[in-house]
Amino acid sequence: MRGFVAKYGTALAGLAVLVFFLFFARNFASSANILNILKHATFLTILATGFTFALLTSELDLSFANLASLAAVVTGGLIAGGTAWPLAALAGLGIASAGGLANGILVTAIKVPSLITTLGTAAIANGIAFMITGGVAFVGRWDPLFLSLARGKFFGVPVLIFFMLGVVFIAWFVTKQTKLGVHMLATGEAQEAAHRAGIATSRMKLIGLTLSGVTAGIAAVLLVANLSSAAPQMAGDYLLNGIAAVLLGMTMFEPGRPNVAGTFVGALIISVLGNGLVLFGAPYYLQDIMLGVIVIASVSVSASVLKKAAFSV
Amino acid sequence: MTEILSVHGAKKSYGAVKALRGADLVVEEGEVHALCGDNGAGKSTLIKLVSGVENPDGGEIAVRGEKVRLSNPHAALAAGIATIHQDLGLAPGMMIYQNIFMGSELQKHLLGIPVLDRSAMIAKSQEFLVSLNSVMRDMKARVENLSGGQRQAVAICRALRWKAEIIIMDEPTAALGVRETEEVIKLIRRLKENGVTVILISHSMHDVTAVADRVTILRNGRTQISRSTAGLTPEKLSELIVEGGTDEDDPD
Repeated sequence: MRGFVAKYGTALAGLAVLVFFLFFARNFASSANILNILKHATFLTILATGFTFALLTSELDLSFANLASLAAVVTGGLIAGGTAWPLAALAGLGIASAGGLANGILVTAIKVPSLITTLGTAAIANGIAFMITGGVAFVGRWDPLFLSLARGKFFGVPVLIFFMLGVVFIAWFVTKQTKLGVHMLATGEAQEAAHRAGIATSRMKLIGLTLSGVTAGIAAVLLVANLSSAAPQMAGDYLLNGIAAVLLGMTMFEPGRPNVAGTFVGALIISVLGNGLVLFGAPYYLQDIMLGVIVIASVSVSASVLKKAAFSV
Repeated sequence: MTEILSVHGAKKSYGAVKALRGADLVVEEGEVHALCGDNGAGKSTLIKLVSGVENPDGGEIAVRGEKVRLSNPHAALAAGIATIHQDLGLAPGMMIYQNIFMGSELQKHLLGIPVLDRSAMIAKSQEFLVSLNSVMRDMKARVENLSGGQRQAVAICRALRWKAEIIIMDEPTAALGVRETEEVIKLIRRLKENGVTVILISHSMHDVTAVADRVTILRNGRTQISRSTAGLTPEKLSELIVEGGTDEDDPD
């Protein structure tokens, strides 16, 4: 019984919240609103999945939101300047991935703690984003095909949902079914033991941090397509949301351990909560308070693992 | 009996400290060989050389009569030598079979993609444990929930997974209670029955006299004595380690 609550308690609580809003929050169940929630959940899930990889190897990434903003303005800026959108999207994906790789190299080769490294690269990415845009947003005419990445439907289902499920499935597959996943886990769980068992622990951390950059790039391109604009700081809010989703996810399925399924459900819960609170007429600042409570409460629940891991710098 | 491992004239210094001044160790196939000596005698250093953690300044190491260079732990493993350190090198939060196969997981192919072969790893883990007479039902149990003796068994299984012919156990009973110590001694006997050579580093006179066939005693970085444990009591052994004894050779 205790095991069941530890594994599924948070998910059931999330379900209860969902049911509550379905019944009591006006307009919550409208198709437009559900689509809104799913869109938010998509960006959040994709970003948080990358963070999950980093945290799995016991490293933090505080830069993914700003890397996503930077990738967004690179993509948006190139498109606004006349570059074909597939190339612009690849450039955005590339710059965020390069940022993640830079994090990985700094952490593993130069041994700067990831908390410090990613705080630094976050600031640098933010600065570059403002430099590129001059502080204003790129708006203008966009190729409808590009916009359909985020706004299109496939058999009546928003394309974004496929991106979300695709990223979740691939990440779940890698972490649960492959040697790479179990090596990343071993690196995060017991670095010294993993190293002695012949696992390339530095490479695992490098991969974890790089993947966090890759997912930031994917989310950025979709964000630009969804808003048909690109501005610095456009993904800024996703930092705390994303961290909260991963930490909330650590209270589920595999308590105390970052896991993709937990991150996914965590992102859904946070998206539902945020949306429902707004519909309930709760003041906007309540969202921040809620995220703060989630972050602290989740870590205190799964403290046993976190104490030895990334949060003890 | 044939020599499976021999070290001759091993020298190693750390700065001005001469940890080994020409130590010898000859281990025969299938025996349990204890390595004893007071703190600072050079046991750990000698084991580091044999497990490839450190490189010697001088001397020779041979496996089955062939000179080898064990420049890193992988080279030692390739030569069939696995070392189980005192902390066992396990990931407590991970499952038994994950620990046994850590770093050398079994894979199968799913639509051409290599994926983990869990059922094979679980079955193999069970086999290794059965070969040690160690009873653990759930291969998915986390190592942190196991007793000290069971953890030792898991660590040994990993060495067996690497097909080690020589298993070096560094102070395996140092942190264990009486019953768990007995469990570990049984494990060592079982390894011997299975034809595995064991080098046992221990401060416990009782363990050494209970399980070892021969003992090598180091003193000040040199081999003081290497002899059979036949007729050796814990008290006598203790005396030999402290007093040094005479430089008598093994009677065989």
